[in-house]
Amino acid sequence: MAKRVAPHVRTFDVAIIGAGVVGAAIARELARFDLSILLIDAKSDVGAGTSKANTAILHTGFDTVPGSLESRLVSRGYFLLREYAREVGISYETCGALLVAWSAEEFANLSKIQEKAIANGYLESYLVDVADLYEKEPHLGPGALGALAVPGEWIIDPWSTTLAYATQAKAAGAILQLSTRVERIAQSSHLHTLHTSQGEFEARYLVNAAGLYSDVIDREFGFEDFVVTPRRGELMVFDKLSRSLVSHILLPVPSSMGKGVLVSPTVFGNVMLGPTAENLSDKSATESSITGLAFLQEKGRKIMPALLDEEITAIYVGLRAATEHSDFQISLHAPQRYVTVGGIRSTGLTASMAIAEHVRDLLTQAGLDLGVHDSLPAIHIPRLGEATLRPYQNEPLIAANPSYGEIICHCERVTRGEVVATLASPIPPQDQAGLGRRTRATLGRCQGFYCHAEVRALLESKSGVS
Amino acid sequence: MKKSEVDVLIVGAGPAGLAAAIAAKQSGFARVRVLDREREAGGVPRHSSHTGYGLRDLHRVMSGPKYAARYISKALEAGVEISTSTTALDWAGDLALALTSPLGLEEVSASQILLATGARERGRNARAIAGTRPVGIYTTGALQQSVYQRHQEIGKRAVIIGAEHVSFSAVMTLAHAGVQTVAMLTPEARHQSYFPLHWGTALRYRYALRTRTELLEILGRDRVSGVRVATPRGEEVIECDTVVFSADWIPDNELARRGSLQISESTKSPIVNHLHETSRSGVFALGNLLMPIKSADQCALEGSSLLSKNW
Repeated sequence: MAKRVAPHVRTFDVAIIGAGVVGAAIARELARFDLSILLIDAKSDVGAGTSKANTAILHTGFDTVPGSLESRLVSRGYFLLREYAREVGISYETCGALLVAWSAEEFANLSKIQEKAIANGYLESYLVDVADLYEKEPHLGPGALGALAVPGEWIIDPWSTTLAYATQAKAAGAILQLSTRVERIAQSSHLHTLHTSQGEFEARYLVNAAGLYSDVIDREFGFEDFVVTPRRGELMVFDKLSRSLVSHILLPVPSSMGKGVLVSPTVFGNVMLGPTAENLSDKSATESSITGLAFLQEKGRKIMPALLDEEITAIYVGLRAATEHSDFQISLHAPQRYVTVGGIRSTGLTASMAIAEHVRDLLTQAGLDLGVHDSLPAIHIPRLGEATLRPYQNEPLIAANPSYGEIICHCERVTRGEVVATLASPIPPQDQAGLGRRTRATLGRCQGFYCHAEVRALLESKSGVS
Repeated sequence: MKKSEVDVLIVGAGPAGLAAAIAAKQSGFARVRVLDREREAGGVPRHSSHTGYGLRDLHRVMSGPKYAARYISKALEAGVEISTSTTALDWAGDLALALTSPLGLEEVSASQILLATGARERGRNARAIAGTRPVGIYTTGALQQSVYQRHQEIGKRAVIIGAEHVSFSAVMTLAHAGVQTVAMLTPEARHQSYFPLHWGTALRYRYALRTRTELLEILGRDRVSGVRVATPRGEEVIECDTVVFSADWIPDNELARRGSLQISESTKSPIVNHLHETSRSGVFALGNLLMPIKSADQCALEGSSLLSKNW
């Protein structure tokens, strides 16, 4: 694909700050055009900030505010990401959701939520009576009164989504600059100069997808449209042996008691419980808290007592980039050739591709000439979901390469072949957590009791030969 | 898919599984096969290079790897077939298992199946310990493999959670890697190991056993910087760069549960009768899968004696 500048030239048509799910989606969308793209992130991996602790739901947008930007972008993003997942191999399951009412107030709210869903263009939700509910979810704790079924709510692999966007953007010529912190932005009449921890980069147009730090980047331009308040969400993941306990995403019903927590299967064959919601001031406070974990265990025991008897295999903590506004904060500052993408909630995963289209259109309004449209190079992401054939089950694959029959992470059944292939992939992991997001290695019930040393040796060797 | 058949199929080539296999051969079973998902047979003793193995069964004391090697060669001499890097994925019938290995997929049926899948320590998440998620957190099992098999860099100052037998093994492993154990925490009033071992290790390695002390939270962003603990005198922070979660064993019962064998609610082990037979006729369970945690020699003796009762 012809590009206006060679990769070594440090002046780009568009620079995107933040390689989370939104930034990576924007890079991918723009990379299909005749543009030079820089995707820059302070962390050593893509999707390593807020994006990595997402609740992993493909949202229909049924409960967004009707008429909002979020409502529009989630609805469109849902269809785009569903198609994209099929195309590149991102795992998803069509499990559907149940909003479970535990009090009279919550029960009364179900029909209001259904009306809201209709206002958002989602017509397939229906009320479920208590007998039907316990038939659908026999392990639900006692005391549920009924539910609203939302069959379109699915579960998806959030890590592979960001990785797929970034991989495809890179394959199309975008430059991915990780471990690079933007410290200051200087502007001239036609160029932004990013002063970073890795030197200077210039760009004609700039997209701020910096998540928790999007308000800080905005201040560089003197904009004070919103303040990001990190809202901590703690999530517990339970052993694969718990997967048979739950069939649907069990969502809480908003009420005067506040938002509850969800219990959801994951595409990896686990069950997730969470998240908490706690406003903080420290944008790096990704530690779990004693009170948060106790709260989840108490809530979980009510929703599904049997789940709490299973082993906890992981605890994730994410900081949502919450603002004082309820809607997404996406705005064009045409004179500065600058687009801010802030206030993206957990629906941002679903909306990501629609946000990318929206940002593309905003950039053209500011004068960006997209040039010739080209098709993106085809990519394929290793499928990590349990609903499809995994490498260890794939006889022809093992026959062709026996290392796909050698399981090294026993709990998650990750083979040496997968780890070696990941280490040689276009965006290789930099640490054990990154390897885990790409392969699931070390994320299982033993938490490295058996495989930690082996996986660390493979990572340290990088060549994949231990 | 390859299909095969043996007389006795054993899952897990640790001390219990290998000893049972040897005994099965000696009592006349023609085809005895042991599976292990690891690259090498021998089980957990392979990871533990310090001495202390073999007293009860082999009547001499040796290191873990030597002890494992003794059982492997005895099994091979007896004519046991050992399949390593071979995972028993699931059941393929009441007395058949589905396997995967670098050789491909396989279904193997047997007249008897013995589960000797062992136990593991609960890690930090399974214990729902709050705090940051920095580098430097281990279980004793992971630590031993890092130190003895991979010779990886560990750190300088460690806190060990738990004060059971295996916790003292962690002290010795850390010392071997040049790491000082600054504290060993237990919420109990005393440690739960043999006194002579405690005194010996304490004298030699100078760690501080802290009883009635509970871990609250792990500190440190990229690397562990310390742990916050609750003591009878209040909360305090112990500075360290390494945390080892020891003991708090859980049986590796996945295969037993996938087969819907009856599982004890309290121990999470398969329920067995006096012949070690599970709720399914012809399927037996032994070793640390049954009652964590027994020592290697106790598991081996259990494996050896299983035959005299069953066959």
